Amino acid sequence: MNEAFDRRYDENMLQGGTTCCPGCGGPLFWKMALQALGPRTVIYGDGPCAMCAIRNIKIPTFNLHFSFVADGATGIVNAFKAKGWDDITVVSSAGDGATGDISFGKISAAAERNENMIQICVDNEAYMNTGIQKSGLTPYGAWTTTTPGGKESNKKDVPLIMAAHGIPYMATVSVAYPRDLQAKLGKAKDIEGFKYIHAVIPCPTGWRFDPAKAVEVSRLGVDTWAWPLYEVEEGVLRMSRKPEQKPVTEYLKAQGRFRRLSEEQIEYVQTTVDERRTNLLAMEGKRITL
Amino acid sequence: MSFTRMMEGNEAAAWAAKLARAEVVPAFPITPQTELISHIASLIENGTMKAEYIKVEGEHTAMAAAIGASAAGARVFTASSSQGVCYMEEALWMPPGLRLPIVMCFVNRAIAPIGGLRPDHNDSLLQRDNGWIQLYCENSQEALDTILMAYKIGENRDVYLPVAPCYDGYFVSATATPTVVPDQGRVDDWLPPYRHEMYSLHPDDFRRPPRPTNIAKARHEVQKAHDRAKKVIEDVDKDFEKVFGRGYDGFIEEYRCEDVDAVLITMGSMTGTARDVIDMMQEDGKRIGLVKLRGFRPFPSEEFREIAKKYQAVAVVDRNTSYGSAGGGIVSMELARALYPMDDRPLLLNFHVGLGGSDVTLRQIEYMADKTLEAAAKGRVEEAVDWVELHDLGEVM
Ligand code: SF4
Repeated sequence: MNEAFDRRYDENMLQGGTTCCPGCGGPLFWKMALQALGPRTVIYGDGPCAMCAIRNIKIPTFNLHFSFVADGATGIVNAFKAKGWDDITVVSSAGDGATGDISFGKISAAAERNENMIQICVDNEAYMNTGIQKSGLTPYGAWTTTTPGGKESNKKDVPLIMAAHGIPYMATVSVAYPRDLQAKLGKAKDIEGFKYIHAVIPCPTGWRFDPAKAVEVSRLGVDTWAWPLYEVEEGVLRMSRKPEQKPVTEYLKAQGRFRRLSEEQIEYVQTTVDERRTNLLAMEGKRITL
Repeated sequence: MSFTRMMEGNEAAAWAAKLARAEVVPAFPITPQTELISHIASLIENGTMKAEYIKVEGEHTAMAAAIGASAAGARVFTASSSQGVCYMEEALWMPPGLRLPIVMCFVNRAIAPIGGLRPDHNDSLLQRDNGWIQLYCENSQEALDTILMAYKIGENRDVYLPVAPCYDGYFVSATATPTVVPDQGRVDDWLPPYRHEMYSLHPDDFRRPPRPTNIAKARHEVQKAHDRAKKVIEDVDKDFEKVFGRGYDGFIEEYRCEDVDAVLITMGSMTGTARDVIDMMQEDGKRIGLVKLRGFRPFPSEEFREIAKKYQAVAVVDRNTSYGSAGGGIVSMELARALYPMDDRPLLLNFHVGLGGSDVTLRQIEYMADKTLEAAAKGRVEEAVDWVELHDLGEVM
């Protein structure tokens, strides 16, 4: 029995213990992602909450601050290229604030240069490590300490913006659907050039829900189409899941951060979700970029 | 094969990056550094140089990519100027603390808003506190040689610090002077390939320095590296001279300082002009010499105390401003601290000149030399900080 545990521990590329909160989607995400990526991987990471989990990774990591997304990885990719080491996967990880706000231009530039890396956004939908402040990827209506009355603008649609760069591969993932998540990372690993993976991860601390419900809440995100799962490969969009749509209130009501939303606001959220769903379904199977 | 021809500083620097076999060059164009990186791009394009040239979208990324590449085991070269250096600042603090021996040229240019595209030293001096070694060059040849030395210094295991060869925009970067480009084979023999003992990001050989637990000790490690770098800089300079026939006296060069009462202390391209003025003035029997400050970080305090004994007055020519400072420019304040422990200190004068990239003329240098000699003769300084360009000195020579 003990041996089985030891083996399991050895195979797992996350070390035991974590500095993340109970119920955090971060370690969950990395455990799944690393299984798919394998040990010949280097993780370059920026930003605290996304970093909490990667501090415990057993494979090579290197990090700077969260204003440094994709750029340090660009250096690593090019150093490996100069050395002729072409069998190592370079992953660059960042949180939502780094991805959507302070380092947005960096990711865009690395995508334009088509650097051979997987850029991952580990999106907990606010600056959580500094104590829950609004980012560009915080959804409409969410409470944070800097949006005490609820956020007034929409979440920036980074996945489609990245796809619009014409990169070889873009995918959205959720820890509620591990097989889909791992298949997409596995695919990204085998594609040459810039790949973008966007994971919305559950954050009980910032979203205000019972840590035991992390996966449940994430699944509601997908099933209400608040966080639809799809991929854009060589410019062609394909839905990964087309669940029967649940009303978005189920997702919103599960989280304290949306507690103060009025009926009208909930209706507005439902409209935006419906529009996104319609748009995605209309684009499905089509080339959406040059 | 070694060859010699008229070459601008930027081209000489590009040849140095090639000779050093820099493997990764992340760079973003800014005047007056632009020709340097475009020369590198053409050296790569025509197959003369083999390197990954990353055309990044800004200076912040240039330095960050340099950091990633250096930690991943590649020898890195980059360069910037002025606003670019300011934009890069956050990243510039990383390599010394991470102990990454990146080489970056500062092609000096004034910082906006007051000043144009031409050089003063505020851009590089702004970075004096973050742990980069800084060596100031007078012409194309010195720029080329200093870049080669920079790798040997920074990659020394007693040092492991980033090194910044600094040279003035236009006056060095775009002024052609005769330059020897040494033979690649001889450079290869002198400068072994880069291998960092503390770092590797390769999955088969992952090494990183441990996270510091005692912050003060970790910072003091960088200080100790600077202390050790002093000897390494001197040794590398001597060794370079032995192999390539050109040396630069380490940190400070005394030019015609025998039997003089006072000296001017200059940095960068104005040193060339100052040499001519000192020659002329000594011909007229004036007892003034010249000290060229080459190494600003680490600062050669002991060396200065050693030579300062010989003079009644020393005058720092500061091509920079430090508004509201304890008195005068940045170099003069450093020197004041260096000389303070002396029992018998020389008088200290400070001149601001060449600000925002204006020319430093023969006449201005003569004026500063005369003022310094006057102070030496009188035994007192009348104007501690003199903004030379505010005076009408008559005809510009
Ligand atoms: S604040 Fe949220 S994202 Fe950060 S560790 Fe806690 S649960 Fe995870």
